[in-house]
Amino acid sequence: MMGDQFRKVEQYSPKSSPRGARSPVVSRQDSSGTLKTTILLGKNPSIVPSGPFYLLKEPPGESEITGATNLMTYYGLEHSYSKFSGKKLKEQLSSFLPTLPGVIDLPGQSDNSSLRSVIEKPPVGGKDLLLLSSAQLEGFRLHPGPLPEQYRYTTSTPLKKRKSKHKKHKHKDGGPPSAETAVTDAAGDTHEKKHKKQKRHDEDKERKKRKKEKKRKKQKHSPEHSGGLTPSQHSS
Amino acid sequence: MASSLENLETQLEMFIENVRQMDIIVSDFQPQSQNVLNQKLQAMVHGLQEIDKLKTQVQDVHVPLEVFDYIDQGRNPQLYTKDCIEKALAKNEQVKGKIDAYRKFKANMLVELGKTFPNELSKYRALRGDEGRRGD
Repeated sequence: MMGDQFRKVEQYSPKSSPRGARSPVVSRQDSSGTLKTTILLGKNPSIVPSGPFYLLKEPPGESEITGATNLMTYYGLEHSYSKFSGKKLKEQLSSFLPTLPGVIDLPGQSDNSSLRSVIEKPPVGGKDLLLLSSAQLEGFRLHPGPLPEQYRYTTSTPLKKRKSKHKKHKHKDGGPPSAETAVTDAAGDTHEKKHKKQKRHDEDKERKKRKKEKKRKKQKHSPEHSGGLTPSQHSS
Repeated sequence: MASSLENLETQLEMFIENVRQMDIIVSDFQPQSQNVLNQKLQAMVHGLQEIDKLKTQVQDVHVPLEVFDYIDQGRNPQLYTKDCIEKALAKNEQVKGKIDAYRKFKANMLVELGKTFPNELSKYRALRGDEGRRGD
């Protein structure tokens, strides 16, 4: 370990300097252009810096837009931001593609349906797609009867979907009730809601009726209001 | 652009629906369903032809590869958009913080340099012009 360090030091010795045999004292061309000097010869030769000091490098060109501005506003993406940050997005792929049949929330690697694999191993293409001839269709003549269990795929989907719905109810309630109770609870809830809505609707109707009657009575009693406003005008 | 994507979406949906129907026919196959199955098979080839035709219309659509990872994991691809937006916003805030900090540093530096090296700084300001005067 130590030996290695010494060897490294030797590598950087002046003999093997990357600058070669050039002395560091010898002035070289300044690439930055900020170290201008004037050499005065004569009795008292001297080197006088004539240019601006090194802090005065050209400042970087100012760009029109920097990270100091709100880029979301600059590019008019506030709507997208509020759209995605405001509501809680559902995690599952099936919530994005609700019409797609089959179980699509499982990882693609499990059933060899990943999109990555399509990119990494592109399928054979470039051939014309032709309709099947009658002879080719003969190859698809099937035996009557149900499919073996292992090939059944989509039949289990609707059940799964229903199960996930029950889970949602579980989350809402907070407790861990059984699936059946969740269903009955949910049904009860909706029934109650409907009932409440109906009640409200009936009450509204009654209130309106009472108002109308009052107005009619008023109009009858006061002749001044005979040519008065209609209910609609009044409300407006 | 939007219409071509909609076309592709419709074609894909029709194709998937056709395959789903084939699945139902095949899952409990009846001999009288053979003709229907043959029609569905031809419809599938036709669907592939239609999708193939549409590929020229969506050549300029670029999809980030990372989205595929989300889809492959069975996750909502909108989460990718959400994550991207949140990352961009966080980075934007970080950079703004850095820029603000540098501005403050520059202002303080000019004040302190003015106290310690007033002559040099006045020269500096004269050379820099507006740039040197602006502390913020």
